[in-house]
Amino acid sequence: MKLRQSMAGLHTWGGLLPSWLLFVIIFAGTVACFDKELTRWMRPALHDGVVSSLGADDVRGWLQQNVSEELHAFWMHGPTEREPYWRLGWEVDATKTIHNVAFDPRSAQAEPMAETVGGEFFFKLHYNLHAGDIGMYIVGLAGMFMLVALVSGVIIHRRIFKDFFTLRPKANGQRAWLDAHNLFGVVGFPFHLVLAYTGVAIFVASYMPAAAQVSYSGNVMQYFGEVMGSFEREEVGQPPPAPVSLDALIVESQRQWGGGEAGWVSVHHPDDASAVVDVRRRDRSRIGSPQDTLSYDAGTGELLNRQDASTGYRAYLWLAGLHMAQFGGTLVRLLYLLMGLAGCAMLVGGLQVWLAKREQRGDASVVWVRALNASVFAGLPLASLALLWGNRLIPAGFAERAVAEGWVFAGAWLLVALWSVLRRQQGRRLLREQLLLGAVLALGLPIINALTSDGHLIASLGRGDWVLASVDLFLMVAGLVCAASAWRLNTTPAAAAARGRAARIQEA
Amino acid sequence: MSRNVSINRWNIASRVLAALVGGYAVAYAVTAFLAVYLPLARPDRVVFSSLASFAVWTAVAIYVFAARSATRLWLPIIGVTAVLCLAAFLSGDWRVRP
Repeated sequence: MKLRQSMAGLHTWGGLLPSWLLFVIIFAGTVACFDKELTRWMRPALHDGVVSSLGADDVRGWLQQNVSEELHAFWMHGPTEREPYWRLGWEVDATKTIHNVAFDPRSAQAEPMAETVGGEFFFKLHYNLHAGDIGMYIVGLAGMFMLVALVSGVIIHRRIFKDFFTLRPKANGQRAWLDAHNLFGVVGFPFHLVLAYTGVAIFVASYMPAAAQVSYSGNVMQYFGEVMGSFEREEVGQPPPAPVSLDALIVESQRQWGGGEAGWVSVHHPDDASAVVDVRRRDRSRIGSPQDTLSYDAGTGELLNRQDASTGYRAYLWLAGLHMAQFGGTLVRLLYLLMGLAGCAMLVGGLQVWLAKREQRGDASVVWVRALNASVFAGLPLASLALLWGNRLIPAGFAERAVAEGWVFAGAWLLVALWSVLRRQQGRRLLREQLLLGAVLALGLPIINALTSDGHLIASLGRGDWVLASVDLFLMVAGLVCAASAWRLNTTPAAAAARGRAARIQEA
Repeated sequence: MSRNVSINRWNIASRVLAALVGGYAVAYAVTAFLAVYLPLARPDRVVFSSLASFAVWTAVAIYVFAARSATRLWLPIIGVTAVLCLAAFLSGDWRVRP
């Protein structure tokens, strides 16, 4: 077999089999480019754009009053431009469970906001499918499939430059979809290659433990400590002295750095005399900020350690930073969003090529693949819209509100999947109805937002709050695009069929 | 005809297995080897060798499907894995040098 032929087989099957999973990962990652903006939309308390005036000690005070279990650690992050409120998380020592709270920025006291999964839902879906460690490994394997598909795709692509300028939408189905697949694949190739590689690199310590096993004899704590240059202290089993002010430590850290902002502030084993406060630097001027964490004794405020990360760890942070797009502001995130959408389009186009080829042969089993396509490619975006509806319609005081939102998402997705399977024989009609539902859901969200909060489009535009307004505007554009596509699909079946026949006659 | 199909099936199964398991094994061995023999400080050896592992795995997956014989492709995979792993794990105290 010639090289190109064997690579074509590898590209077809190695790309096809994980493509539904890759669609979930890429779509969720694309949405996660603007996760913090989405979180703001999902929390009405943040709609006026008030910046919290609380301090780190107020947040710790709330924790001491409201949580009585012994903690392994707690961590908090102060207000930023994109997240103008305090966030707090803690891990209970006995059960290892992690809890998170976000505080209302309008309140002068520490007061938690209504629970929500927030935009982070998509971030988590992106890296572990909400399935913990197993999900993380599945995503990693999908990333490897993507790398192999990208490389084999380049090898089989003889005319990579010429095809870039080729789009024949009027050609027969397979050819047009192949052009689309090539176009999005070639335009996005450098981005997709870098993002696939940096994506699997983020969890390198879990995916490839070989180096730590051989060079640190499997001593993970020593490995992390030495690579990151971080500081750890054993517990001594004695009660802690009165803790020093966290706000004072933040000010002291800023002085040590010679200016600069503090990011995460974390306290390790706070109920022990060995408690350590870490203050991490937040540096948005770099792709991979070296973190420069300062560690203090929680009781005396004495500076114990200044993080000195190894060159390797700085390189790793740079790769991870390139993937996470927290640098360069809105423009960079917008580019990542567009490239992510190109990735989704590439996957859909590739699958359509595969389907069109088999449909021409009259293969009967393709309806099931079409049903799977509709369940995932339509199901995930529709379920995401349903999640936002759930976010607005579930009352603020509802117990386990974030969990309920998650169930709205899962339930909506299951319903769309069921619908797609039942309607598998009428693919065109199904697609049109799904587009219509998407239009209704997306266009309804700005309205329901206006009815349930003060942050409606007119108010946010009036304030010049483009960040909040852009979520509503994006939903409206998405809804209109869905509606227009549905309308086009409704009017053209006869014309499309005639065009297809004409093209085939020409080719013959 | 049916014999051809079953040969073809074994051919594919062998290559898929080689790409998934063999590819990971070679990547593991190369990472372990580089983590010992790269002329860098220990944290840097560990990080850079680990980061390279995904390129190795990808390259092996491509090689496995490009190779002419579906059975003989296992020879370099097993050979490279064995030699590099032995060199890495039998390097005594050299492998844990700072």
